[in-house]
Amino acid sequence: MTVVLYSVIKGKIMGMEVYKMLNIYYGNMPEAVFNTEVYFKNAYEDTWITDPLAKEMILDVDKSVVLDSAVIDSPVMGKIAPVSLSGGVKTLILMDNERSRVFNASACGDNCAKWILKLAEISDLTINLRHLMDFGDGTFNICILNTNQIVHSMKELVPVAGLYV
Amino acid sequence: MRGKHRVIVQNKRIRYDFKIKRNITIIRGDSATGKTTLVDMVREYFENGDSSAVVLDCDKQCTVLAGRTWEAQLSVMHDSIVFIDEGNDFVTSREFASAIQKTDNYYVIVTREGLPALPYSVDEIYGIRNSGKYGTLKRTYNEFYNLYQSADYKQAARPKKLITEDSNSGFQFFQSVCKRTERTRNIACISAHGKSNIFDAVINSSGEDILVIADGAAFGSEMEKLMQIVKSYPNVKLYLPESFEWLVLKSGLLSDGNTARLLEHPWEQIESSEYFSWERYFTTLLIQYTQDTYLKYSKKRLNPAYIQEKSINKILAVMKWIDLE
Repeated sequence: MTVVLYSVIKGKIMGMEVYKMLNIYYGNMPEAVFNTEVYFKNAYEDTWITDPLAKEMILDVDKSVVLDSAVIDSPVMGKIAPVSLSGGVKTLILMDNERSRVFNASACGDNCAKWILKLAEISDLTINLRHLMDFGDGTFNICILNTNQIVHSMKELVPVAGLYV
Repeated sequence: MRGKHRVIVQNKRIRYDFKIKRNITIIRGDSATGKTTLVDMVREYFENGDSSAVVLDCDKQCTVLAGRTWEAQLSVMHDSIVFIDEGNDFVTSREFASAIQKTDNYYVIVTREGLPALPYSVDEIYGIRNSGKYGTLKRTYNEFYNLYQSADYKQAARPKKLITEDSNSGFQFFQSVCKRTERTRNIACISAHGKSNIFDAVINSSGEDILVIADGAAFGSEMEKLMQIVKSYPNVKLYLPESFEWLVLKSGLLSDGNTARLLEHPWEQIESSEYFSWERYFTTLLIQYTQDTYLKYSKKRLNPAYIQEKSINKILAVMKWIDLE
């Protein structure tokens, strides 16, 4: 297993040193927002829903079309409000819009993993995971904050992250 | 509670139809598959009955446990199927594991976390999938599917290293198996001393052909990690029978016609308030059945009768895909 120690520190989030990439803290993290459903319900803004990236994520994960900031067309549930989106897509929207907070990304299924990597490409992102999300067969740059190790594939990630979940 | 219970929950738009047969069932998988919707519909029916416009058919009461007052809510739940949605972090606590241990409920928990304090089976981890729309109805039909197939954890293997979860009789059995022939004497047999140490033991054994043998009846919490390892490292294989005691019972060593019938439908016999996991039931059963016989079983120290050639052959015959000759 090859891991590279990364030396360029971007800054701090909630007291942790984080890097210009996807940062993940594995395991219990009391500072993180655990119940993302409740946080979203009380914090979301209309513009978050109509943002082009949010629309794309909602279409891909929930197979639903944003009609306007308050109405989304779901193939199963009909016309729904933003609070009725899936827990996964609501958490993705939170990650994109409140980057100074750390959210519990275990509210997201593996079908959200590619979007988490994409959000981290746009700007550095720190999340909490309490399970081993599958980031796919491709390569990536993820910093595991528990050990400050950078990993580039699931083969590198699993032996390190698996010790904390 | 004992038995297998069918649950049908539906409204005009969506229908769920599944069966629950153990005290702990885990639902996880992709986002937007309808996990939270299922729990919401169960809650709405429980609170409002028929006036919720939800139809729920089950021979047991279905209810929902949530929030900070979970202990008080749980104290009045009996003989029920209890649904818990994700976002309830009490499910990870030792207090929760302890509180549900002696209850007569079945629990359906939506979570992606491992929950190592709960002894749930690798067979009872489900995802939800859409099984289509029927006729002209606009209702979506959802069903449960096993996230891990038996092919994932009963793989053909010719190992050079055995890692057992067990440190007592099960480990002693496989240690003896490894001493039998010239080839097997080269197989290293180690105990991980518990399911939580297996991941460590595997990643510290890189490069070797490893077979992990653990009690599938209580190994659910470790499954995601181990399956990720198996995916990345093809030299690691899993063999997860219900338990070592189940293997012995299944082997026919006891030549008792009753055993085969019990093993075919264990849910009919296993009372959830008595046995937190099926593994404990199979241990009790083996101890009872072998009492006052030459096969008298003890979990701590393996009776030498189990490592006689005839016994070993019968038990290994159950492990069809594993080459330990």
